[in-house]
This record gives sequence, structure tokens and C-alpha cells, in this order.
Amino acid sequence: MRRPALALVAIVGSAVVGAGGAWAAATTDKLTAIRVQDLHYGDVLFHFYQDDNFEALTRLLAYGQWDRLPHHRADAELLAGGLYLSLGLHNEAGERFSRLLTPSTPAGVRNRAWFYLGKVWYARGYDDKAEHALRSVTGLLPPELEAEKTHLLANVLMHGGRYDEAVQVLDAFQGRSDWVAYARFNLGVAFVRKGQLPDADRYLTSVGEMAAGTPEMLALRDKANLALGFAYLQADQPANAKVVLERVRLSGPLSNKALLGAGWANAALGDFEGALAPWLELRGRNLLDAAVQESYLAVPYAYGKLGANAQAAEYYETAMREFDKEGVSLDAAIQGLRSTRLLDDLLAQETAERLGWFWQLQELPDAPQSRYLYAVLAGHDFQEGLKNYRDLAFMQHRLGAWAESMEAFHDMVDARQKAYAERVPRTDALLATAVPERIERQRGELESKLDAIERNHDTAALGTTGEREQWARIQRLEQAIANGEAGAEGADLEAMKDRLRLVKGVLAWRLDEAMRARVYRQRREIKDLDAALREAQRRWVRVERARKNVPTNTGEFAARIAALSARLGALQVRLATARDRQNDYLEAAAVHELESQQARLAAYRVQARFALATIYDRAANPPPAAESAAPGRAAPGPAAPPPGGEAP
Amino acid sequence: MSIALPRIRFLTRPWLALLFACVLAGVVRAQEAPAPAAAPDAAEAPGETRALDTEVQDLKKEVVDLNKELFILEEELLFPANTQVAVFVSMDVGEFFALDSVQLKIDDKEVSNYLYTPREAEALLKGGVQRIYVGNLKTGPHELVAFFAGKGPSARDYRRGATLRFEKSVGAKYLELRISDRQRKAQPEFEIKDWE
Repeated sequence: MRRPALALVAIVGSAVVGAGGAWAAATTDKLTAIRVQDLHYGDVLFHFYQDDNFEALTRLLAYGQWDRLPHHRADAELLAGGLYLSLGLHNEAGERFSRLLTPSTPAGVRNRAWFYLGKVWYARGYDDKAEHALRSVTGLLPPELEAEKTHLLANVLMHGGRYDEAVQVLDAFQGRSDWVAYARFNLGVAFVRKGQLPDADRYLTSVGEMAAGTPEMLALRDKANLALGFAYLQADQPANAKVVLERVRLSGPLSNKALLGAGWANAALGDFEGALAPWLELRGRNLLDAAVQESYLAVPYAYGKLGANAQAAEYYETAMREFDKEGVSLDAAIQGLRSTRLLDDLLAQETAERLGWFWQLQELPDAPQSRYLYAVLAGHDFQEGLKNYRDLAFMQHRLGAWAESMEAFHDMVDARQKAYAERVPRTDALLATAVPERIERQRGELESKLDAIERNHDTAALGTTGEREQWARIQRLEQAIANGEAGAEGADLEAMKDRLRLVKGVLAWRLDEAMRARVYRQRREIKDLDAALREAQRRWVRVERARKNVPTNTGEFAARIAALSARLGALQVRLATARDRQNDYLEAAAVHELESQQARLAAYRVQARFALATIYDRAANPPPAAESAAPGRAAPGPAAPPPGGEAP
Repeated sequence: MSIALPRIRFLTRPWLALLFACVLAGVVRAQEAPAPAAAPDAAEAPGETRALDTEVQDLKKEVVDLNKELFILEEELLFPANTQVAVFVSMDVGEFFALDSVQLKIDDKEVSNYLYTPREAEALLKGGVQRIYVGNLKTGPHELVAFFAGKGPSARDYRRGATLRFEKSVGAKYLELRISDRQRKAQPEFEIKDWE
């Protein structure tokens, strides 16, 4: 099985290189190589590369909504399409691809996207969409994908009964020998369905006689021979059928049908001894197989034709016993199926926590019904339904986890609202003080004062306390001298004046010397104050905003939580309902399959009983010329036809 | 004991007519075979199958959308944009270093100690970028210290640290721990990038 990541990487991821990675050359087959330029896009890829596609898609969508992927919008859109596809959301993926895959998208990327989309749609039974997607591929895909595309398209056409077109598509196919073999097989099938047996023979024989080296090719060879053999039986050409059916391997998975067909071919040729050989071989095989069941009736029929009535009767009796036994087991299996939840049993052994379309059930549970359900469970529809069921279970689990978180979110918002209510009075009191405005005002006054000091060269204003006191004393003394209040006269007064001049000069010189540095320091302090003030104002604004917005924010969150909780609850219910419906539908299909098997066995039992009665009747009243009819043929006779022998 | 399912779908039908149809079913490659053309059981109840499939698809789409909404709610509630700080890990090439674990400290407090699984390490090497930590920080200066442990050149145990002082302002802060190869010295290089 192709790894999912690889498939999707092929669509969108192949050109992505790591953050800091080297640039790679762009080719027509890839998106232009890109660096991860947005960390969040890298985070999406981190989950994508681990095949955790659900998480990758969730993050991709969320980051896109937050606009955290500005450099990768186009890549993100394409990746989202691929992720939707991988999650089985093919309709959503299809819509996105239809929108995104424009002629400007590199051809290789565009074609791969259409191819995988076509493949998913084909698998889901949307043939019209599958055809549109496959036909949207322009030019050639890489050889392996091109071959698969051709065959998918041919199958879509055959599915729709458009055999001529299918033949046209396959006839033009050229590729590797194994793919050519598939093409020939499909062509042969198309011709059989058209009723052109000679053409069918040409293609199917070429496959049926090929030298096959692998189990896959051996199986295909068998299938081609079986198809042609049954086509000849259907066309009443038993001799041709016999030759072809004898080419089927005796040990292969198709050998039962081939043996049954070979027997019928011999019987149709009147060679009942020849018919017995393959039918007796079949009798020793697993009774679950329809061909084996039919052989239980075919063998006594042949004995009857050979006149060995005693052996025929013995084989019919054995057949009835075996059918009865099998019928009892089938009853138990149907009961078992009805008493348990089938899909949960099937998934019980699954441990993988991922989901997606590429998943496939690998093993069946060891339950009585498993042996009967082998075919139906391995069937395509069932597998697709099971994937849906599994995906729904995964999503239920995810939503369940969210439901628990929602309670926590609710409590958190509640706690925030309470904390807010407690802090509001303190906050209001603080905001009422308008402190930043006052500080701002004071700061302005301070700066004006400094400007004036600088302008007036008021050196003393910036002096130390001691200096300012000294300066004030000097001024007081000068004033006293000027007012004649110095308390000295004459020479003493002059000496005092000289000393005062000297002291004043020294102090003025010192203050003047320091002025520049002091102004600088003051300006610096104002600058520091500005920074602190700005920070305080920012915080103040945040507090104001918080005061105003918190009730809205918490209210908004509370409303979102309430709305999402409601959606969550409703979706959980719908998921559970859908799961039940999916389970019921598939369970009904499984029960229907078992009931069909039961009905077939019941019909076989009736046939066997009737044939046996006829033999006994004939033994009691021997007719002049005993004749028995072929099982499944509308010929009257003692050995009634088994129901399976309707019409080769 | 359990029964292994085949990869190829062999159709067994009771009636030869149906058997005939099955035998004639077209095939795609066995390992890829999704559904043979004209498979009778695929056509049994296409209407119901399709209706159910459409319903399931719609439901899945709704779950995907809701999951996104819940993811957004959680992040906006727990890590508001104005206080959010997120740390990412990226690897380029990885020739000289195989990552085992990363320990993160913010302001000397351990906030993450992450052990990598091989799958995660592989995802990093392919180009994925892991959001290893998301939390809240006050505005102002902070210090991030990261310790990387793993296998260095010649598969020897290797442990290195990197430090970044950064300023958290209003608005989300994104930091990237980048591991790359220094080709000339044949040694790994560890750096922290501050995404403005």
C-alpha cells in the first residue's frame, strides 16, 4: 500500500524544504522549491510529515485565519486540498482543487492532484467525478501513475457500460509489461462484455499464456484464463472453455472456480468421468466457497449420469449432512453478528490513532462469523464504510476531549471575571488619581526651570545644598554691606568686602565650572524620567484598557464558549447517530451476506433432497432408460439440478 | 488467532452468473485495487451508500471546522497575542547531529524538556518546524536558554547550549531554535533566531 504521506507529498509537499534549507531548482514537475518562511507553516508541515493530517489541517486552518502564513498562502491552500483528500473529504478537496488548480499551477502538481482526486472518487463510487478528474490530467504523469490513471479511467468507463471508449483508452496504452498485461486483461473483459468473444480471446489468451514471475502476475494470468473460460462456457463453447480453464493453477485463489468450470466444460461435452476429476478435487476443499458447495451437488450429479446411483445417493446424503452442519454454523454466526457491534469488534485490534482514507483493515477478529464474512468484509464498499466509521470514532474521541476542555475554559473565564470584580475598586481608585498627568505636569515644570537656569546662566541654582547656602550667605552679606548693616567700618569694612569678593569669586568659579556637567546631568535625568514616564503611561493605558475591555473580553469568551459548547454537543450527538447508522448499514450488509449464504445452502439442501428422492424413486421404479439432468439445467430428470449450476 | 485479509479483492458469489460477472471484473493494480469495474456488490445500494457517505463527509467537515474554532479559542484564551511567546525548533540537513532532546529555560525556569521520537525527528529533517513551547511572558527583557542533546559527529553523545536575551513587547514573540550543519567545520551549529 502506498504510504499516505508519500502520496500527498507527491501532490504538494515534495518541493518544500526545511527552514534554512537549500534552494532547489524548480522543475515543471514540482512547485517552485520554497523555504519555510513562516514558522507556523513549518509547524503544519511538522504534523503533516508525521501523517497526523487531522492536526495538520486544524493548524493550517487556524493559522490561516490568524494570518500567520503570509508567505505561504498558495502552498497552504493546495496543502489544505491534499489534507482534505487524505481525510476522505473528497468533495471538499475536489472543490478546492477545482478552484486552485489553474493553468499557472505547475503541470506536475496539478496532474498529481487530479490523479489522486480521481482515484479517491473512483474508490468511493463517484464515477462521473472520477472521470472528470482523470480527464483533467493534461500531458503525461510519471509512468507508474500514468498507467494507473489509464486503468482507472478504463474501469470507470466499463463501469458505466461504455466499453467502446474503454477499449479505445486501453488500446492506446503503452507501458511496462505488467501494466500492459493489465491493459490486455481489461481490454479482454471489455470485449467479453461487448459480446466480441474472438477479440476477447485474443487479449485474454495473451495474458493467460504469459510467462508470469510474480504472485501478482500469476494471479492476473489465472484471472484472465478464468474470465475467458467462463466466457466460453457462457457462449456454449465448452471445448474452448476446457482448454482455457485447465491453464488456471490448481493451488491459486481462483482454482476453485476454475475446477468447477472445468467440470462443467467436461460435463457439457458429455465427459462425466472427466467432470468428476475436478469436482472431486473440489469436494475436499473449504465448504465456505460457493464453488465447493456446488461441487457437493455436481459430484453426485455426474455419478448419476454415469449410472452409479448408489454412489450418487451416498454423495447427496453427505451433501445434505454437510449443508445442515454449515447451516447451523451460519445460524450461530448470524446470531453472533446481531448480538455484538460488528464494527467495534473489527476495530478492536486497531491501535493506530490516525485516520484517513489510506487506512485499510488488515486483520479480521477471531469470531465465528469472520469465516463467513471474509468476502463481504474484504469488499470495497464495506472497507470504505469501515473507514468512515473509524474516522467518526476518531472524531468523537477528539470532540470528547474538547468537551472536557470546555469545562476548564468555562471555569477559567469565570475565575477571570471574579478576579476582575475583586480588582475593580482598587483599579478605579488608582485611575482616579490621574498620577501620570501630574507627573507629566511636574516634569514640564522641571524642564522649564532648567531651561531658565541655563538661559540665565544661574550657576548657583544647580549647586549642591552647601554651595547654595554659601551663595545665599554671600548674597545676604552683600546686601548687608550695601545697607550699611555689616557692623564694620573703614578698613575693616574694606577688608570684609575684599574677602567677600574673593569667596564669591571662588564659589562662582566653582559653580561655573560645574554648570555644564550639572545641566547635562539634569537633562539626562529628565530623559530617564521621560522613559520611566512613558513606560508608566503605557502601563496606565493598558490598565485603563483592561478596565474597559476585560468585561467585554471575558464576556466574548464566555459567549464563544457557550456557542461552541452547544455546537460541540450537537455534533457529538450527530456523530454518534452517524456511527450507528454506518454500523447498522454495514451490519445489515453483513447479515444480508450471511442470509444469502444461508438461502443458498437451503436451496442446495432442497435440491439434494429432491435429487435423492428421485434416485430412490427410480431405484424403486426403474424407468426403461434413466436420464438425469445437469445440475442447474432446466432438464427434467431424477437428479435435480443444483441451484448454482444456472448457466455457464 | 486472526485471519489476515488479502490485499486483492477476490469476489466470491454463489451463483455462476454472478461469478461470471466477478470473473470479468476489470482490475487495477492488485496492490492499489480500489474497486473492480462492474463489481456487483458495489452497485447493490449505491444510493444509500452515497447518501451515507455524503452525510459522513458533511459531518467530518463540520468537525474539522469546529476543531479549528476550538483550537483558536483555546489559544486565544490561554495565550493571548499580547503576552504570547512561542518557541519553534527547526533542523536543516542534520548530517552532523541527530536530535534526541531539547530542554528550554526561560528566565532560568525550565519550561520544556522534550524527547523526540524517530518519527518527529524525521519530520524535522523533512522540513517541519516544531512549535515546542507556547506560553505567556510579561513585557520586558527575558532570557531563553536552550540545551540540545543528541548524537554528534561520529555518533558521539553531543550536548550544546544556546542563549538569547530578548525583549518581549506587546504582541506575540516567536523564537526559533535552529539546528544546522556547519559544513566547513563538520560540526552542527545551534542558534536562536528572534522573529520580529
